[in-house]
Amino acid sequence: MSAGGGLSRRQLLQSGAGAALGVYGLGALSGCTVSRPIDRSAEGQIVVPKIDGDLLIYNWTQYMDPALKSGFSDKYGVAVNEVNYDNLEAMVIKLRSGGHYDLIWPSSEYVRRLRQEGLLLQFDRNKLRNSDKVNPFFDSPWYDPNSEFSMPYTYYTTGICWRSDVVSGMTGSWNDLSNPDGAGRMFILDDFQEAIGEANLINGSYINTEDLDELEASKQILLDQKQNARGFSTNDITNLVSGSAVLHQAWNGDVVNVRNQVDNPEDFQFETCEEGVPVGTDAMSIPITARSPGTALLFIDWLLEAENAARNVAWTGYAQPVEGGAEEFAKLAKDEPSIDITLEQLANGEEYRLDDPEARQAWTSLFTEVKAA
Amino acid sequence: MRADYWTRFLIPPGVWLLALFAFPLMLVLALSLGYVDDLGRAVYGTDWSNYAEAFNPTYLPVLIRSVGYAAATVALCLLIGYPIAYYIARFGGRYRYALIAALVVPFFVNYLVRTYAWVALLSDEGLVNNFLVNLGLTDRGIQMINTPWAVIGGLTYGYLIFMILPVYASLERMSPSVIEAGKDLYGRPFRTFLHVTLPQTKQGILAGSVLVFLPAVGDFVSAQLLGGPDTYMVGNLIQDQFFAANNWPFGAALTVVMMLFLSIWMIGYLRSASRDARGAAI
Repeated sequence: MSAGGGLSRRQLLQSGAGAALGVYGLGALSGCTVSRPIDRSAEGQIVVPKIDGDLLIYNWTQYMDPALKSGFSDKYGVAVNEVNYDNLEAMVIKLRSGGHYDLIWPSSEYVRRLRQEGLLLQFDRNKLRNSDKVNPFFDSPWYDPNSEFSMPYTYYTTGICWRSDVVSGMTGSWNDLSNPDGAGRMFILDDFQEAIGEANLINGSYINTEDLDELEASKQILLDQKQNARGFSTNDITNLVSGSAVLHQAWNGDVVNVRNQVDNPEDFQFETCEEGVPVGTDAMSIPITARSPGTALLFIDWLLEAENAARNVAWTGYAQPVEGGAEEFAKLAKDEPSIDITLEQLANGEEYRLDDPEARQAWTSLFTEVKAA
Repeated sequence: MRADYWTRFLIPPGVWLLALFAFPLMLVLALSLGYVDDLGRAVYGTDWSNYAEAFNPTYLPVLIRSVGYAAATVALCLLIGYPIAYYIARFGGRYRYALIAALVVPFFVNYLVRTYAWVALLSDEGLVNNFLVNLGLTDRGIQMINTPWAVIGGLTYGYLIFMILPVYASLERMSPSVIEAGKDLYGRPFRTFLHVTLPQTKQGILAGSVLVFLPAVGDFVSAQLLGGPDTYMVGNLIQDQFFAANNWPFGAALTVVMMLFLSIWMIGYLRSASRDARGAAI
């Protein structure tokens, strides 16, 4: 702008033309992928467990007994630092932009995606002291043949957690999310697959349906449920403990974790739903950009040790398919049958999985539309 | 010759602007024409469909909501900020700068952190509700967060200073003698304010309104932390495209549309300001 003068029409047009010229020049970029060239020097290397530096782990919040971090730290003399994500897409984006995390907890589907993208480091599972204590079910899972890029962490169901002192009349259906007792204090998981998945189940559709009409029907269900909701969030533990939520779409282990933190544990209940029970597995993997992959693998081994697995299961409430963890979970499930899950369920159950990129896009757009409405 | 000499000093900031402002902006433009590959990575392209999607009527309520919240924020900031600025400028005396400093210092703390403080204050079992319960005014607390009011409150708290400072500057520039003149002409206080003070500080109010409105429309922190299911703003929509829906090209297209939309307001403001400046010169 010229001093003292206004913004003339001519100046506006000139700057507009300049911008247009700039955009034209950008056509040269067409076809290039938007990603920072990340350090892939470790590609092809096979990690062995040995201390090679401090550890930076990247996990969901409240998904591991913190005592296991300090225990490892004391035993091996390295620092264990933790940062958290609240959805897996955000985690992937950080990895793609070259974040130096040593250990991540992707779900089965994400192990497969990250592996395809070459973002995971291969390791030699035979070098782990506890690898033979892991249930053989995970020797060669669908998402990671021969289990070279991941070790299983937990497996779980998705259902509904509620406060029985506030909410009554729960029926064991996904429609319980619309229970009026929870009005204004109900949360849907802020995860496009969990949210659309339960709506698909209510409609009697396949959990991973790619049929656009069926998805449209699920969108209507979600819009109705949203009327009853206070928000979308994956921080179910925090929301339930703080009292913001009395009704929450939730993962089975979290009810145990919540009960460990409150004064009125008997008021927190969990149910799976008759229309269908989504199941899933979270694994542990080492990103290609890890600075201390050896330490990370040692840490995986540490978590698989029977005593540590038992301790972790008692703290997180999630089933772990490893000696020690399995027995501890059986105890928890005996006290609270609603959280039970078996490997048969995992083998035959409904797991979130969208292989077709277009379907994935349709799902994420649908979820955006639900939130925007 | 002299002008040439001084022009040279523009080269370093010019290069900085070009490299770190204009160039990244061009990348956003380029990305908005891109698409997502099978692995979910964004690829540059020459595809206008993201813009078509950005004008999908589904997103219209989000824009209207954002503008509404921002307008409410401007109004609240004006109602709260004007008296404060007025008081400091007219009656602050030798404490004036200390008072301004007292207002500015809290804003050195990051907006995100200050918003988290609001969550702690206003949550169902937060400090305010505990206080109300202890007084016996309510038995289980009032839901204050996760409401549109909380979002507007958070925005107001976050951007209040941008209203106070320009209004304060325009009030300070104004000679107190014109107010006295207004009273000498038998104007009652309110009429004097309406006909003398307010017109004199119009540019300050306008500048403050623009400074509050523009960032408030694009804000996502307040709605994310203090909002509920029905407080989704444009900022949240854009942020979700980058960090949840993994559709960077669509996010970039929304960003460009948003920038154009905000530019219209900005240009309107600049024209009005320069018209006023010209008027004052004559």
